[in-house]
Amino acid sequence: MSVTLQNVLCSLQEEQSRLKTKLQELQQQKRTPLISPKEEIPFPVPEVPLAFQGRIQQGRQVPKFLVSNLKICCPLPGGSAIVTFDDPKVADQLLQQKEHKIDIEECWLRVQIQPLELPVVTNIQVSSQPDSHRVLVSGFPSGLQLSEEELLDKLEIFFGKAKNGGGDVETREMLQGTVMLGFADEKVAQNLCQIGQFRVPLGRQQVPLRVSPYVSGEIQQAKIKFQQALHSVLVTNIPDILDAQELHDILAIHFQKPTRGGGEVEALSVVPSGQQGLAVFTSSSS
Amino acid sequence: MDADTDNKKHSPEKEVMKTEQNEGLIHEIMRENLHLEQEIKKLEAELCSDAREFQIKENIPERNLKFISVESSEHDDRFSNSCCSFQVSSQISYEIQKGQALITFEKEEVAQNVITMGKHVVQMEKAPVKVTAHPVPLNIGVKFQVHVNISKMKINVTGIPDELPEEQTRDKLELSFCKSKNGGGEVESVDYDKKSGSAVITFVEAGVADKILKKKDYPLNMNSKCYRVTVTPFIERRLEKYQVFSAISKRTVLLTGLEDVWMDEEIVEDLISIHFQRKNNGGGEVDVVKCSLDQPYIAYFED
Repeated sequence: MSVTLQNVLCSLQEEQSRLKTKLQELQQQKRTPLISPKEEIPFPVPEVPLAFQGRIQQGRQVPKFLVSNLKICCPLPGGSAIVTFDDPKVADQLLQQKEHKIDIEECWLRVQIQPLELPVVTNIQVSSQPDSHRVLVSGFPSGLQLSEEELLDKLEIFFGKAKNGGGDVETREMLQGTVMLGFADEKVAQNLCQIGQFRVPLGRQQVPLRVSPYVSGEIQQAKIKFQQALHSVLVTNIPDILDAQELHDILAIHFQKPTRGGGEVEALSVVPSGQQGLAVFTSSSS
Repeated sequence: MDADTDNKKHSPEKEVMKTEQNEGLIHEIMRENLHLEQEIKKLEAELCSDAREFQIKENIPERNLKFISVESSEHDDRFSNSCCSFQVSSQISYEIQKGQALITFEKEEVAQNVITMGKHVVQMEKAPVKVTAHPVPLNIGVKFQVHVNISKMKINVTGIPDELPEEQTRDKLELSFCKSKNGGGEVESVDYDKKSGSAVITFVEAGVADKILKKKDYPLNMNSKCYRVTVTPFIERRLEKYQVFSAISKRTVLLTGLEDVWMDEEIVEDLISIHFQRKNNGGGEVDVVKCSLDQPYIAYFED
C-alpha cells in the first residue's frame, strides 16, 4: 500500500516541480514585455522605411519611445503682454514683485507681473485593442495626385455606399500611407474586412485597395503638472489707454532697462484689450 | 528480503499513521498543483492578450520650454483651453552583437545589391575576413499624437453631499460658485450628476477656473450648513492618428562574421567603409558604419 502511495507522491512532486518551472518561465516573460514579432500580427501593417544614421547607445536603459513636436498653448487675457528675456534671472527677479510701474512721459502705468505656468504631461499610459467599428484602408500607390482632403472624401463616398458593402462613415483619419475609417455600424466594418479587396475609383484610376481591422489606442492616464516658463513673464491688467503699437514700444523700452529690473528682451507680444491671445511654446532643442 | 525486514520493523499503528500522513501530503500537493495550474492559465491568458495589445507606460522627461509666438483673435474656442500636444513614436533599434556591423548606404539599390551578393571578402590588416550581408530585422512600432486640453472655463466638482433634491442642489452649486468673495465668478451652466455626487461647472469668463483651482476645495452652502467640496481641473485627453507600423531597413545592411577580428573598432569600420565604397565590390556611397567587436551596441533607426 505504502509503496503505491510513495509512487503517487513522487509523481505528484515531479509534476509540481515541472509546474513551478513553467510558472517561473511565464513570469519571466511577463516581466520583459516585447512588441510582438511580425509573424504574429494577423493584419497588414504599413511599412515605414528607417535607416541607421550613427546614433548608438551602450547599456540596458533604452527608452522605448521618442517624444517630439511638443507644443504648449496658453491663453492670455486681453490687455496683457508676454515678455521673454534672454536671461532667466531677469524674469525671476521681476517676478519677486507683483506690482510694477511703467513710465510713460509724465505719468506711469500700474501693471502686474505674473509667472506663466504651462501644462506638461509627465506620464502617459496608453492601451490598444482591436476596434470593431474601425477599419484600415491600405495599398495606395505612390504618386497619387490627390490632396489629403480629396482622398479622404473619395474614400468616404465609396465606403459610405451600401452597394459597396459600406455604410455611414463616422470618423476618418489620414495616417502615414494608410487611412482609418470609422463606421456607425460595426457590422459594416466587419463585413468590409471580410470582403477585404476593393477596386476604388480615385480620380482617373480604379485602384485596388485592401481593408483590414484597425487597432486603436486609448489614453488610460496622462499625468499633468505645471511647469513655469523660466524666460518669460506675463504683464497683466494693463490699463487700456494706449494703442497696441504704442504699448509695445513703451513696454519694450521699459523692460530693456537694467535700472528698472529689465534686461535683453528676446520677444515681446501684446494682446490688445478686447481681444484674446494664445501663447505658443515648444521644447527648446537640447 | 530487505523489504520484509523493513515491514517487520514497522508496527501496524505506525503503518496506518504513515499512510495517513502520505495521504494528507498527497492531498496537499494535489491542491498546490491545482493552484499552480490556475496561475499558469491566468498568466498564459494575460500574455496572449498582451501580445495583441500594446501597453505603453512611459515617463516623459522634463524639457526646457521656449516661447514661440502669440496668436490673437477676437473670439476663438481654442483660447479657452490650455493645451499640451506632442507626438509619441516607438524608438526602433537593433542591438549590434559582438562580431556584427551595420552599414548604411546612401542608395537603397546599393544596399539591396550588397544583400543579394551575400558573401563579401573584406581586406583587413593581417588577413582577409569573410563577412555575410543580411537585411536588418526590425520590430513593429506604434505612433500617435497626444492632445491634452485643460479648460480655463470649466471645473470638476466632487464630494457633493446628497442632502437635497437634484434641482435644488444644482441651484446651490450655482449660487456658491458665483460668489466672487470666494474666488468664484458668473456661472454659465452647471452639469450635476446626483448619482456620483459630482458636477462640471462652466463659467462665463476664462480665468475664474484658475483662481478657484489655486485651492483644492471650495465652500458649498446648503441651507445652513457649509460643506467643502473638492475642485479639480476639467481635462480632456485625446489620442489622434494612432497607427501600428512595421519598420523596415532599406538602406542599412547587417554584416556578420567579424567575431574573430581583434583590432580597433574604428579601424575595422574604416576598412569596411573603404571596401564597400567601391563599385567593383558591389558597393557605393557609404553614409555610416558601426561595428561591435566586444560590447554590444544599441543602434537607433530613424527617419
